[in-house]
Amino acid sequence: MPLDTSTTYPLTRLRLDGRRWNELRLLQAQISTNPASSGSSYLSMGNTAIMCSVHGPAEGRRGEGSGQAGSAGAMVDVEVNIAGFASVDRKRRAGGSGGQSSRIATTLRSAFQSHLHTYLYPHSTISIHVHVLSADGSLLAAAINACTLALVDAGIPMPGLMCGCTAGMSGSASTPRDPRNEELDPLLDLSLPEEQELPSLTVGTTTAVPVGENHMDEEEGEMKVSVLNMDSRLHVTYIETMLAVGMDGCKQIRELLEGVIKSSR
Amino acid sequence: MAAQQKASSASQTPHLSPAELSYLYTSLSLPQNPIRPDGRSPTQFRPLTAEPDILPGTNGSARIGFADGTQAVVGVKAEVEKTVLSADTLDASNLSQQQGDFAAQEGRDGREGAGSAAVAGHGSWVQVSIEIPGFRDDDALPVFLSEMMRESLVGSVAGGNDSSDEMAGGLKGRLVINKRWHWRLYIDSQGEEDPFFDDDWAVAEHLYPRGTTNSTVKLSSSVPQVRPPITLLVISVGENTIFDPSREEIAVADAVLAISVARDGGDKNLKLLSIRTIDPPSRLTQPAVPNSENVNALGATAPTEDVAVLNPATGEEEVPGVWRPRRGGVKRSVIAQMVKTVLKKGGVGEEVLEGLEGVEVE
Amino acid sequence: MSILNVFNSPTTFALATCVMADRRRINGPPGGTRPAIYATSLPSIKDADRARRQRQPSELRKIFLKTGLIPSASGSSYLEFEPSASLAAARANPKSLIPPSSALKLACTVHGPKPLPRSVAFSPNIVLTTHVKYAPFAARKRKGHIRDASERDLGVHLETALRGAIIAERWPKSGLDITITIIEAEDDRWWGDAPDSHDASWGMMNVLAGCINAASAAIADAHIDCLDLVSGGVAALVTDNDGGAPQLMLDTDPAEHRSIVSACVVGYMPARDEITALWLKGGTSKAALDEQDGRSGHEALVDGAVDAARGAHMVLGEAVKESMERALGQTT
Repeated sequence: MPLDTSTTYPLTRLRLDGRRWNELRLLQAQISTNPASSGSSYLSMGNTAIMCSVHGPAEGRRGEGSGQAGSAGAMVDVEVNIAGFASVDRKRRAGGSGGQSSRIATTLRSAFQSHLHTYLYPHSTISIHVHVLSADGSLLAAAINACTLALVDAGIPMPGLMCGCTAGMSGSASTPRDPRNEELDPLLDLSLPEEQELPSLTVGTTTAVPVGENHMDEEEGEMKVSVLNMDSRLHVTYIETMLAVGMDGCKQIRELLEGVIKSSR
Repeated sequence: MAAQQKASSASQTPHLSPAELSYLYTSLSLPQNPIRPDGRSPTQFRPLTAEPDILPGTNGSARIGFADGTQAVVGVKAEVEKTVLSADTLDASNLSQQQGDFAAQEGRDGREGAGSAAVAGHGSWVQVSIEIPGFRDDDALPVFLSEMMRESLVGSVAGGNDSSDEMAGGLKGRLVINKRWHWRLYIDSQGEEDPFFDDDWAVAEHLYPRGTTNSTVKLSSSVPQVRPPITLLVISVGENTIFDPSREEIAVADAVLAISVARDGGDKNLKLLSIRTIDPPSRLTQPAVPNSENVNALGATAPTEDVAVLNPATGEEEVPGVWRPRRGGVKRSVIAQMVKTVLKKGGVGEEVLEGLEGVEVE
Repeated sequence: MSILNVFNSPTTFALATCVMADRRRINGPPGGTRPAIYATSLPSIKDADRARRQRQPSELRKIFLKTGLIPSASGSSYLEFEPSASLAAARANPKSLIPPSSALKLACTVHGPKPLPRSVAFSPNIVLTTHVKYAPFAARKRKGHIRDASERDLGVHLETALRGAIIAERWPKSGLDITITIIEAEDDRWWGDAPDSHDASWGMMNVLAGCINAASAAIADAHIDCLDLVSGGVAALVTDNDGGAPQLMLDTDPAEHRSIVSACVVGYMPARDEITALWLKGGTSKAALDEQDGRSGHEALVDGAVDAARGAHMVLGEAVKESMERALGQTT
């Protein structure tokens, strides 16, 4: 590939799709798309499109609901389905769900299980279905955002919106960072080609919904990281930069999601 | 995960009590004008939204949704694949053709051969897969659905021959690039309808043709009048024929048929492509006990109240108001009646096709 | 001399093995291989060698049906169709190593009624499971060990046909497994023909009819209460000469016909005159029927299939009687 980010970026300071380092892709979202479910959403970040529906809280099945796990609060059950036509080449998963979708499902489950106020619904199950219609990078982040919207639509109480975003570096970043000579820029919201060749990090943050008088002086201090996922190699000195950029992205996304929720009411 | 699958399979039939089933059955089997739970007429469809071309990454895509929230998304992808002369056919004309090819190869490289296999295309070049949440992709239901769709799509071929040269060989024929290469069409359908099981039949069936319309139009932009087939779900209850049944209505049906039709060439007539019976879930329901046999209600009712009456549609003795699971099959006359309602001029099939043609495809 | 390019290339092998990942066994190449054929030594395949139907349009093939051959099962049956006349002629006077047509052979076993495992939810009715599998050597093209879509599809059709006949509420909380192994399948077309635009899998319909017959004999052999013996029958609209209107024929062997326009298979219960399963494929509008015949093409086709099923029902009756006599002989 002649047009890879690591060679063209230092010259132009523009990424493959023409964005600058700190720009998000176009984020469009809609909630209450499916009246048959308790809550549903459709979210697209660039060419990544995700449909999500939430059923419940409903009575858990007898086998697991009556056990130890169900008595404390609701169980969150996530199923992720990546459509065969989602990526550029059609993929047929051999027998059941693929590795990528089950990894995303596990992450989402543990993130939302601890995030939601599940104690309000003992002996019940909240099931979330995520359908990836088109995959172009940042799948996990987009899935987090879509789930948040669908859960808000379903009216399930949570302390704040959970937003996800990816951050990367514009090079392989395998040597220690030199603070005087910054040749690598952090990148926000990676697309699929970038995600494949650059180190990337997915951040999911929660922020308390501002209540009362002090909502004006809301600051970074209230932001909590609840999902952090990285499976590429990178020198440890860059982590902080990426995390900061990712958190900043989450903040932008939160505003967008809030807009979606407010405009639909 | 296993427990969840079981739960979904169990939710195939809605949990209705025998009394509810009996009530539904009685109101749906009223002679002349059945009363449907949602007040529709027997041939009326639920409001439907369809939008084509929603995903940029596919060759053709569509989303279909019913008013009750049942929806499905379809994507069509085409890939170039090398045509392999399969070992199970050895066509004489093809072989001699090929021999000629070898001789001529130096002179005219890459000429398009016209061996009979190459022109006709092959049914297995179209591949359909359907995913319904809670079902494994090798469960009976998705397999049956996708085979049904592939069959009507591939089968829609035959009549196209005389209408226009471009559609010779129908969809299969269009997939031929030249002698050595062909397109392989993948059609993936995603049901998005968690608790609503049966509606997915209808949804997927409708939606499917939309997906193909896109692809057909893309492949053959000059032949817009050739339309893909549609599959309608029809049930019979008593003597009535009911279209586009909801989940509850299917639960009490005597017979469920999936009928695929398509336009017959250029003229306005409809052509029957395939019929399949579908196992009606009413065969698996729990029976009710008439008062006369119920120990708890012994002596509480006058014995004259439940007298078994012969149901003319099923030929079985039934106590009115007491549900019995359906048994046996369908009479031939009932099937003929159902097919006739679909095919007749100005009938339901035509109406649905016209409705779908109204959806804009650029 | 040029070797013809009839081999599958290595890449297609790799592709096919990905799709059918059966790592537990050592499998042959899924596409099948063929010895090299030299063009000069190739005798031209003459159309005259093609198998032709020598029966009347409404004449059925003979069926061999025997029950109770598998002692470990609660019910079993074996079914075989009479080989067509052309096959017998080809055997007596072989012109080619490839047989011109095949004849259906299949074995069916019924296990049950047996209690459902504890983990399964309560069911007020018998739970029917059908499993249809081609033997790897059953068709001209080798079948894998994992059931493919067409085999699963056959299983669903068979289940639909049988469920209507079995009186399911007599066995609550029990299961019934029906397993069919197809030893020799019907061809979809004459082997010398290339797949053309009508190349749907017509042979599958004959296989389904055979499965229905064998399964209902085996169910009767297992002494499970049914409304009637469901019998399967096939009818098809075929064109044997170019330009002619399609003719209605019963019990068609696809290898004997130039092209099949549409075909229909039914599961039929003669005692109640009811159809439990119907599977019709292909356009029926061009059927050549009598002028005074008021029926439309598909009705004629369904009626034809029902007639074929009635024929099969007689064989079924005999086989079940035999099974009954054997059971009585064992008890006394």
